[in-house]
Amino acid sequence: MVAWAKQGHDAAFRELVRRYERPVFSLLYRMVRDRALAEDLAQETFIKVLNGIKSYRPEFKFSSWIFKIANNAAIDHLRRKSIDTLSLDGAPNAETPEQMRATSLQLGDRAESPLDEVENRELGKAIERAIGRLRPEYKSCILLRHVEGYSYEEIAETLDLPLGTVKTYIHRARNELRGYLEDRRD
Amino acid sequence: MTDLSMHLTTDEIELWAQGLLPAARALHLADCSLCRVEADRERKVILELVQLPHFAPTAGFADRVMAQVKVPTPSDSWKI
Repeated sequence: MVAWAKQGHDAAFRELVRRYERPVFSLLYRMVRDRALAEDLAQETFIKVLNGIKSYRPEFKFSSWIFKIANNAAIDHLRRKSIDTLSLDGAPNAETPEQMRATSLQLGDRAESPLDEVENRELGKAIERAIGRLRPEYKSCILLRHVEGYSYEEIAETLDLPLGTVKTYIHRARNELRGYLEDRRD
Repeated sequence: MTDLSMHLTTDEIELWAQGLLPAARALHLADCSLCRVEADRERKVILELVQLPHFAPTAGFADRVMAQVKVPTPSDSWKI
């Protein structure tokens, strides 16, 4: 299919999108927990992959290449977001309660949009909420391992991480998930 | 040869949770409540993870992508 796409067949490009849109979108959605944003990042991923298809090296799995680009897009976004995020407790240099109140974000009674409803339904399960609490690097490893069925070696190659780091992240992620899920049951 | 009394490693517990641990090592679980509890907890979370569904983007996703992709024409490969 990739070879066919490289030769310039529109149908092959569409088939690649059809095959990978769900896994790629799902990974991104669970990483950023926002449907519209995940879709923008998925679109950005596919455009980058398909416009750069000639640079694809067949010794790597095509899916690993897509997941690598998708994961980088999510991590870049999350890094930018963490820089831009304002604390709910006010500006970092606020010292007195008055300063904190004056600079804190005021959350109104925002009505739930249809998109929020879909997100609450899709990501509302305890396991999804627990995944949402993981560090981004743990999330990508655990999702590639157990949702996509990747081996540790494939994850290491996809995410450019040493094999030992991948194992550590996955074990820690599962431990944290167990903790979150067991706290909920108690 | 592995000692039957040796506790299972994290990797072995994952293999057991997936039904892939060799029977000879899995025997350890019959005698070790520590490993059994750990393995059961691990299996529960792995089961929850592997059952997670894929989500679909909104309709027309492929069209929106294709609108921004330049499909190379076969003649492009002849250009220098």
